[in-house]
Amino acid sequence: MRERNLVVVSAGLGRPSSTRLLADRLSAAAVGAAAGLGVRLTVRVVELRDVAHELMNHMLTGFPPAALEEALDAVRSADALIAVTPVFNASYSGLFKSFFDVLDGDALVDKPVLIAATGGTERHSLALEHAMRPMFAYLRAVTVPTSVFAATQDWGGDGSEGQLRGRIDRAAGELAREIDRRQAATVADPFALTTPFEDLLAG
Amino acid sequence: MQFGIFTVGDVTPDPTNGRAPTEQARIKSMVAIARKAEEVGLDVFAMGEHHNEPFVPSSPTTMLGYIAGQTERLLLSTSTTLITTNDPVKIAEDYAMLQHLADGRVDLMMGRGNTGPVYPWFGKDIRAGIPLAIENYALLHRLWREHTVDWTGKYRTPLQSFTSTPRPLDGIPPFVWHGSIRSPEIAEQAAFYGDGFFANHIFWPASHTQRMVELYRERYAHYGHGGADQAIVGLGGQVFMRRNSQDAVKEFRPYFDNAPVYGHGPSLEDFSRETPLTVGSPQQVIDRTLGFRDYVGDYQRQLFLLDHAGLPLKTVLEQLDLLGEEVVPVLRKEFAALRPAHVPEAPTHASLLAAARREEQRSEQQEGEKA
Repeated sequence: MRERNLVVVSAGLGRPSSTRLLADRLSAAAVGAAAGLGVRLTVRVVELRDVAHELMNHMLTGFPPAALEEALDAVRSADALIAVTPVFNASYSGLFKSFFDVLDGDALVDKPVLIAATGGTERHSLALEHAMRPMFAYLRAVTVPTSVFAATQDWGGDGSEGQLRGRIDRAAGELAREIDRRQAATVADPFALTTPFEDLLAG
Repeated sequence: MQFGIFTVGDVTPDPTNGRAPTEQARIKSMVAIARKAEEVGLDVFAMGEHHNEPFVPSSPTTMLGYIAGQTERLLLSTSTTLITTNDPVKIAEDYAMLQHLADGRVDLMMGRGNTGPVYPWFGKDIRAGIPLAIENYALLHRLWREHTVDWTGKYRTPLQSFTSTPRPLDGIPPFVWHGSIRSPEIAEQAAFYGDGFFANHIFWPASHTQRMVELYRERYAHYGHGGADQAIVGLGGQVFMRRNSQDAVKEFRPYFDNAPVYGHGPSLEDFSRETPLTVGSPQQVIDRTLGFRDYVGDYQRQLFLLDHAGLPLKTVLEQLDLLGEEVVPVLRKEFAALRPAHVPEAPTHASLLAAARREEQRSEQQEGEKA
């Protein structure tokens, strides 16, 4: 089995939260799908609620406090990402956006990402396509075709369990295949010199 | 080891009474602070350069020249001089002039500046920050060392048969530090020239400072200026003291909570944990400062930020008393006892002049032996 690591970013605010619930089901499905391809996935969950104050402090001071730095490092070195947010006023939550605002612009380049969201009704589901997918496109991530939206109805309504389950499995399968076809992620050292000083001097 | 203070020169209302000093009062208070620094036995006074409110120090050589006339021993420096938006020709001339007037008590810290809008005001592009710092400093370095300079570059008009005047005092250019928080190119630049490297330190976690200083030391040795542990390192620090540490926390908190840069963000406690800010008793400042050595090695210069965020002049002068009387004497002794003999002190005009004279005598002797 090859070893890869998956980082799950969950922007749920409550405890417990349906956002985290969806995130957990997605990551369990991804672990299963990857195992089927001979890849052992280690999962690390980043709950943005835990670093909410640190996020704002980072924006105000310009440096990430230790707990946030650790979360950002985990995302930078992840082989794949599952990103889940509640939908607020037709888009991802401010907390979710703030995390990606302080992440360096090229941290997600060519990284497979599964996007998912939760909301009160299924009428919010397009927030995934008109807000979340463009943001990850801007960050040059490889977002898998299937995005997963879970409305309140999906957690209790008749027959909805099967539909949600199907979408979760399809998206997790797509993510696992993207992980499978890639080398393990490497992280550039921010303190490394990329240009020899002679070249810098030459202008 | 050199100890001193560095100021950003912010005009900030005192949050305890809402009163802000006039620009003139703030400028004069910076002079009073520099004089006090000399009086209490500190070695260095450094001031920033800014071209935007709420900061007043836009003209460092004017202020440092005035301070030079009122002090005798204090080393005058900058934190930082903008090597990106200033013309290197004018820097060469301004600081050579200052060096003559101050009898050599001058060094400089180069920086790029951290406020985007300033660049276009001076006709520059912030996206070229690093190339500007590299090209401008390369020219400045030559102007101080070569009498007649022919030069062509990308960012200013060419020079033909140009001599910057006055020439550096005794033919010795001011010593230069390069300041950067996390641009490896700047640590590399300092190492390339064998210049000093200053890690601002005060807003950032120790791990960043450690990585940058390590990189600079390694590259200093790579360029053959000496061992990695002989590289010339300076650090910033930020303190507020009262004899009783609870009093220090209580008094400083409103200033911290409303300070430019970090006010309304992290708590005083979080910020003290994440950065070198120390609010407490003189002994706590001593212990914390000695601890910097654990992650950067033996270093040559420690500058503290004391006057900012609307702290009244009277309070700042009291801080200088505590620093000069209780903190620095202990730090001097302790750092000296820990420092191995092969680790040099920071260069000064006197030490650079003595080294140049020794070199002269040595080559004369060699000439004599040949003849």
